[in-house]
Amino acid sequence: MRYSYKEKEVKLNRREFLGFAGVIAAFLWTGAYTVTDLIVDRTKYIKMRTAGLYQDDEKQAKRQSHHNQSLLNMYKKMNFQPLSPMAEELFHTHYVDRSVL
Amino acid sequence: MPKTYQANELTGIIKIDADKCKGCDTCKSFCPADAINGAYGATHEIDNERCLQCGQCLVNCPFGAIEDTVDVVDQVIEKLKDSNTTVVATVAPAVRVALGEEFGMEPGKLITEQMYGALKKAGFKIMDVNFAADNTILEEGTELIHKIQKYVLNQSVEGELGPLPQFTSCCPAWVRYMELYHPNLRQHLSSAKSPQGMAGPVAKIYGAEEVWKVQPEQIFCVGVYPCTAKKLEASRPEFTAAADYWKKKGHTATYQDTDVVLTTRDLARLLKKLNIDVRNVEPAEEKDNPLAEYTGAGTIFGATGGVMEAALRTAYFVLTGEELGELHFEPVRGLKEVKTAEVPIKLKENGQEITLKIAVVHGTKNVEPLLAEIEAGNSPYHFIEVMNCPGGCVNGGGQPINPMGTSWTGKFKAILPW
Repeated sequence: MRYSYKEKEVKLNRREFLGFAGVIAAFLWTGAYTVTDLIVDRTKYIKMRTAGLYQDDEKQAKRQSHHNQSLLNMYKKMNFQPLSPMAEELFHTHYVDRSVL
Repeated sequence: MPKTYQANELTGIIKIDADKCKGCDTCKSFCPADAINGAYGATHEIDNERCLQCGQCLVNCPFGAIEDTVDVVDQVIEKLKDSNTTVVATVAPAVRVALGEEFGMEPGKLITEQMYGALKKAGFKIMDVNFAADNTILEEGTELIHKIQKYVLNQSVEGELGPLPQFTSCCPAWVRYMELYHPNLRQHLSSAKSPQGMAGPVAKIYGAEEVWKVQPEQIFCVGVYPCTAKKLEASRPEFTAAADYWKKKGHTATYQDTDVVLTTRDLARLLKKLNIDVRNVEPAEEKDNPLAEYTGAGTIFGATGGVMEAALRTAYFVLTGEELGELHFEPVRGLKEVKTAEVPIKLKENGQEITLKIAVVHGTKNVEPLLAEIEAGNSPYHFIEVMNCPGGCVNGGGQPINPMGTSWTGKFKAILPW
């Protein structure tokens, strides 16, 4: 059996059910739910975190990868270039066909 | 063994707790791979063969019913106590703008120095994955430039190159999606490893020799990522470049480049277990640590469009011989699902003008039309960035769970007639 079709039991008596239904109906009928959109931006936290990263970008003295001096030193000390055989060995890879594994 | 995984790969990372699941279908609406089974109202279950391990269902479940089952926090604490082991934390860009949330700070608060301070107090050595992101740009950008020289300018270029358009390969969930659902197009992925794939070998080769001056076998490399799929990626059997390198120099041990991965949530849990609070820890700058140097291009890898923007900054310079005047490239920023742009480039050798066509996609499902164009042979693009999670890694499946992100009312509105 891949998954269960048994529904969860809901512990709610008739009066409570009618009460909830009434509240929901009133909420929909008045259109009050649209107000929540003005208050809640559901992507707000994504934008806040993104802003944090752009702030980090702007405060760096160097903002282009080819100016990372320690990185260039590493290539120099280990005596290889991007896409050279050594770089292929350390920094490049291949991909597998997972539909036939 | 599950059949869409290679031997020894971590699988089943994301699980739904049947007791907590209410069958609300929110997870299904966030799943990029249609990997969740279960009728509306009934307990849901993840089909591990289809799952990308991205954790989008986990961070968006309104009931907290979905778990990350791979917990290495105690193992890392043991390693930190062992004086013979150099425990290196490689920390991804998006962690520094979200870790604070677990300690009551506002979302997006940039706390790089506090994060370094907390890691040092816990006993970690630090390598910033932003360094590896810069490294990725050098490799992936050079690859793109070679492809442009070969296919656009018809120059002869040495070495084996995949076809254009080139896709970014930084996002492990996207890479698994390509390998699983469009394996015939996988040659379009950049052959460059992700920053995690590069950080491991750098730490265990260059870091061991030049920075920490220890034997590579003594290094225990702990990836800290905003991502659950990175746990799978770290376990890929071919990611043993450092061990292979050292074997040629007489060493015998075999180990993964990145030994274990902590998510941002895991790191917060680890720090709390050690009674370290990022709010009152002594900040550290790591100025004299070469593996903590990074540029602005490296740090924006954590947001949608960031890899593209970083690649453009370097590719433009290499092709034209001039730096981009304005580094802020607006067309690739923001939350539109598919962003496209054309960048005019005047080649430095002969003044010839070409137009670089790029696309940026977040939310893996949105890439399907672009893949169809490639299948049909009429894709206009040269370079396409894909990040699986909406917004990019800042909204990854390993990030702090933010209540603003649940989609209850979104679903609710979908059934209304107006």
